[in-house]
Amino acid sequence: MSDLAYLDHAATSPIRPEVVDAMMPYFGERFGNPSSSHRFGRAAKAGLEGARRQVADALGVEPGQVIFTSGGTEADNLALIGGALAAKAAGRPMTVVTTTTEHKAVLAAASAVARMGGESVLLPVDGVGQLHRAAFEEALGRSPAVVSVMWVNNETGALQPIAELAAACRDAGVRFHTDAVQALGKVPVSAAAIPGALISISGHKVGAPKGIGALIVPDRGAVAALVHGGGQQFGVRPGTEHVAGAVALGEATRLAVAEQESHAAKLEALRQRLLDGLRRALPDLVVHADAGPRAPHIANLSAPGAESEALLMHLDLAGVAASGGSACSTGAVEPSHVLTAMGVPDALGRAAVRFSLGPTSTDAEVDRAVAAYPTAVARVRELGMALGRV
Amino acid sequence: MSGGVDSSVAAALLVDQGHEVIGATMKLFCHGDEVPDRPCCSLDSIQDARDVAVALGIPHYVLNLEDRFGRQVVQDFVDEYSRGRTPIPCVRCNSFTKFRDLVAHADSLDCDAVATGHYAIVSDGALFRGADPGKDQSYFLWGIPRSVLGRLRTPVGGLTKQETRARARALGLGTADKPESVEICFVPNDDYVSVLEQHLPADAPALSPGPIRTTAGELIGEHRGFARYTIGQRRGLPGGSREPLFVVAIHPDDRTVVVGAREELDGYEACLAEVNWLAEPLAEGATCSIQIRYRSAAVPAIVTDSRPGRLALTLERPARAITPGQSGVLYSDSGQVLGGGVIQ
Repeated sequence: MSDLAYLDHAATSPIRPEVVDAMMPYFGERFGNPSSSHRFGRAAKAGLEGARRQVADALGVEPGQVIFTSGGTEADNLALIGGALAAKAAGRPMTVVTTTTEHKAVLAAASAVARMGGESVLLPVDGVGQLHRAAFEEALGRSPAVVSVMWVNNETGALQPIAELAAACRDAGVRFHTDAVQALGKVPVSAAAIPGALISISGHKVGAPKGIGALIVPDRGAVAALVHGGGQQFGVRPGTEHVAGAVALGEATRLAVAEQESHAAKLEALRQRLLDGLRRALPDLVVHADAGPRAPHIANLSAPGAESEALLMHLDLAGVAASGGSACSTGAVEPSHVLTAMGVPDALGRAAVRFSLGPTSTDAEVDRAVAAYPTAVARVRELGMALGRV
Repeated sequence: MSGGVDSSVAAALLVDQGHEVIGATMKLFCHGDEVPDRPCCSLDSIQDARDVAVALGIPHYVLNLEDRFGRQVVQDFVDEYSRGRTPIPCVRCNSFTKFRDLVAHADSLDCDAVATGHYAIVSDGALFRGADPGKDQSYFLWGIPRSVLGRLRTPVGGLTKQETRARARALGLGTADKPESVEICFVPNDDYVSVLEQHLPADAPALSPGPIRTTAGELIGEHRGFARYTIGQRRGLPGGSREPLFVVAIHPDDRTVVVGAREELDGYEACLAEVNWLAEPLAEGATCSIQIRYRSAAVPAIVTDSRPGRLALTLERPARAITPGQSGVLYSDSGQVLGGGVIQ
């Protein structure tokens, strides 16, 4: 990686060697179906349930509360849509409350609930991405089926006061959900701080492969199943389990939680090094959500007049991998709904680039970005002038 | 890279020749099927282009030029129809979006050359018709900056469409057998009136009823908006006359659509505006051939008036339906594009 800098860990991180070691046997001799009663099935079942226990122990919940999913998106959908359907079954309205800065998985699930005849309420945030508390309190009065607030924002790193929000929901008798995908391993994540909450996690953000995640479901009635099948995972999420993935998630979650404190300190130092270097080169640099509570691994910044779309091309060709506001599946960079919701002016929002750090990040990678970014900014500002003249 | 077979093969051929190639796709519009929670419309064509780039092992970037394309091309498209004319948005896109904006991005990346999947041949800074007479796209390229020609590459310009497809198949490109796109990219289902309806107020003159008159002035019917008509059109006119009727003129001022017999479409004079030269400008008295629409043969002509930005020509034989808004493209005998302009 000497001539490359991968600074897009919020998108995904490499699989950790320990995790590879843990999961490999489940592609080989422990290939069985965990539902089978013979020895092959038992070997797989042992791995699966061991992984469930690892996740449970790391997060401070019971193994029976861990539901493996295909990832964060499915976990979020199960929480919101499954939560709304469970409320409907109990004769309550399918109202879901969330924030304008959530991941698309939550926003899309909330709007799906609305299309199913329910209601979706989006709460505003302030200039540093913090949820407006008055709007939040007011929304609790509507007796929603689920209130969903992400722990750490995936674009800006803004950190919400999750324990306080969860407590307010508990007091109001409202189910709380948090997308903790970007929080796990970066800030302390424990169910003890938010008892009774639904929690989404994703494997590939913490060194497990893509295609595995989990939803913590405190009690079976909290969500209704979205897929239907053979009754695996208590019927909440049936289908033959991705055993190797689950094992990977178990090991990765265990490591992420065990190493969180030292890892966060390392990330914070790298982030500081990055911002110090960039600010020296570009005094007019704007760092979004920097002044509020935030996680240590994300720096979302704008150099006025340098649009991110062109910047990301320059950075990529210079060997620096970062991302724009939110990359859609085609790779087109769209204005970020998160920055827009924070009141960031459109022109500044279009310049936003997200650098995100992870376990493999080094000083050398950060220094490479510090060297490449100002050069790219200068070229893109020239381009902006050239286009402006046409 | 549009995601179609032509630009896919163009990229593949350049990679084969050992060039360092950077793929770019212009995102020019968003169809109205957006759902509020989707990050953007995931146009299949962009995905196709991306797949090809991945298969070729080259970088690929999507350039969102929606705003600029909207101003430079879509707005002009609407304005031209509102003026009773028949625009060619592909010409505007080439002149502005592709060969100015996209090239500016290429400049910013220090690219030595810019390549497209056009069926046209570039040689020594001159532009010629493509080798496949059925596919030749040089007609659409008259408006590009002459300065770009020196660094423009058109790797499929010397191939026939069949040869291009064969190359694509040989390279295993997923786009090899993609159906030809002949529609205007931002006009869904070939229904351009729906685009006008989207951009114009409901009571816009171009979409409001008006008289259909013969060239003699006789009122023979009513239409539902002159923007639904183009010169030479037969469809949508009242029947019952002895010989077939064609639209011969559109008068936006009183919203009149004028119809006449086939021979009334014939014209000898072409007057061009927004003239752009891709060779040395022709002076009064010079001869060339002029092509007045995409699917028609070029006709020998003599320049009768030449001044900056404007040009008048007299044709050797009459051309059918010389239509304001279409392009008049000037060719030499060897098929070189000398320049062109918008027909007035």
